[in-house]
Amino acid sequence: MGGNARMSQGPTDALPAANTMLVLSGCALFGAVAGAVGSFVLARRRALLADVAAHASLPGVCLAFLAGEALGVGGRTAWLLLAGGAATALLATWCVPQLARLRGVGPDGALAVSLSFFFGLGAVLLSAIQSHDSAAQGGLNHLLFGSAAATTRSDLVMLAVLAAAAIAVVALLFKEFAAIAFDEAHARVLGLPVRTMDIALLALLVSTVVAGMQVAGIVLVVSMIIAPAATARLLRGSMPRVVCTAALLGAGSAIAGVLLSLRYESLPTGSAMTLCAGAAFLAALPLAPLLVPRAGAPAGGATP
Amino acid sequence: MREFLLLDLPMVASALLALIACGTLGNWLVLRKESMTGDAVAHAVLPGLVAGFLVAGRHSIAAMFTGAAVAGVAAILLAGWIRRSTRLDPGAALGIVFTSFFALGVALLETQGARQIDLDPNCVLFGALETLFYVPPASGSWFEGVPREFWTLAAAAGIAVAFSLAAFKELTALAFDAEHARVSGIAPRWLEPALLCTVSMVVVASFEAVGSLLVVALLACPSLIAAPHASRIGTRFAISLGAGTAITVAGHLIAAYAPRALGTQAALNTAGMIATLLAAAVPASFALRALLNRRRA
Repeated sequence: MGGNARMSQGPTDALPAANTMLVLSGCALFGAVAGAVGSFVLARRRALLADVAAHASLPGVCLAFLAGEALGVGGRTAWLLLAGGAATALLATWCVPQLARLRGVGPDGALAVSLSFFFGLGAVLLSAIQSHDSAAQGGLNHLLFGSAAATTRSDLVMLAVLAAAAIAVVALLFKEFAAIAFDEAHARVLGLPVRTMDIALLALLVSTVVAGMQVAGIVLVVSMIIAPAATARLLRGSMPRVVCTAALLGAGSAIAGVLLSLRYESLPTGSAMTLCAGAAFLAALPLAPLLVPRAGAPAGGATP
Repeated sequence: MREFLLLDLPMVASALLALIACGTLGNWLVLRKESMTGDAVAHAVLPGLVAGFLVAGRHSIAAMFTGAAVAGVAAILLAGWIRRSTRLDPGAALGIVFTSFFALGVALLETQGARQIDLDPNCVLFGALETLFYVPPASGSWFEGVPREFWTLAAAAGIAVAFSLAAFKELTALAFDAEHARVSGIAPRWLEPALLCTVSMVVVASFEAVGSLLVVALLACPSLIAAPHASRIGTRFAISLGAGTAITVAGHLIAAYAPRALGTQAALNTAGMIATLLAAAVPASFALRALLNRRRA
């Protein structure tokens, strides 16, 4: 399957090169949202669930592609691909706690099983699509590792809509998220709907993943959720400060990644972004001990 | 028949060797609640593998192995160190390290002339089982036509089984009560690092042929399929490898013959098919156990 993996027909509504600024701002927006959402994902210890959600969007994207072809709206319709990806990603995150409840499976086994099932299904569907030579499949290959250069206008519109919605939700529910992230038991006593908030966070996570799929790629999009937030948590501070730092770091890594991948054409955008975000984490690592009070530091990392 | 021997047999045999290698060690990882460590190693070995290729060329298995094993062990040690020194949660530490390593590997692969070392990011994820077929050599003995990956996988399977048998008692103690095993001295200090090294070696060997996706599935799923049916560890190994074998063969047959039966030209990814079936078999196995229990009651 390696041979036909490199077909790259030009996307139908490709952006001219002059619109680099547009692509850059879209990616920066995605990075900021990923950082902000990631702060809460990490606080709830859901980093690897985010990995599973991202991988699990592949079968949904492929099914949406096939559905689009069958319905005659064109396989590469941005909203359809995103909706499909979001559906299977949500299904996979729903499966994880169900599997974890089985005796002897545990949280780690549940993640591995869910990942294998959904990503495996995605691999089968993707190979079927690739062998079924369709002119419209261009761009689907980019979804694995991301390509800012192949971003279409409709991709950017979808990204902006999802990012704006995610920012609105984070702003609206900030207090509740922060309270639950800081001390779940305490939040329960206060009467906060922890379960509902977790579902809301999951929905945010999945929207972030599918929004970033085109630029960062399904395989590595999770690093933009984990790394900037982890860096911000290293530097500590109050929850609003952690979220803002993570958003800034996310936007910075995304911009740097896009610029690198536009400069070196063969470098996939997802890899470039991940390496930038990882480098920022490495750079912050030696700073962390200076900023952490040795004794009496809160175990969770962030204080409300 | 001849077609089956030349095309299907090497593919199935390679997948089965990967199953023996990963499934055996996977039992220890699953019992230690470290299923996702396999996932991390399967991604983290990539930059080492590519560096080995770039430095020594396509056919230097030694360079490839050294590079990949170093990268795999380094990633796990780095994640452990980050976790201890920063109090980030284990998932986040692991996540940062393995995505960064994998991204580095993909970047090297794409920018340093991937075709030159003919390994592409798609194969890295989903394997190249479909390319493993027997090429009858023009001269010389028959085994020169066997794909190189087959021998690598055979060695990996041998190492995994030998290690598990040699340290069976110690690994069992470590798997069920790590604290007790360490304190009482049943498990020597080198055992956990040795397990990690063996896992990374086996992952590297399997990775090239079956891809990171199937490695993850092979490490976690067979052991979990056996979990509800086995109370003794020996039984668990037997069931996990037996069920794994059946599913691997079934996965190959479906991927190879289902499209033909349906009359389409589609070529389905074998590794993905096997991974999907293995994962689906886990809840199915638990459901079967529940059904058997109800009938007995």
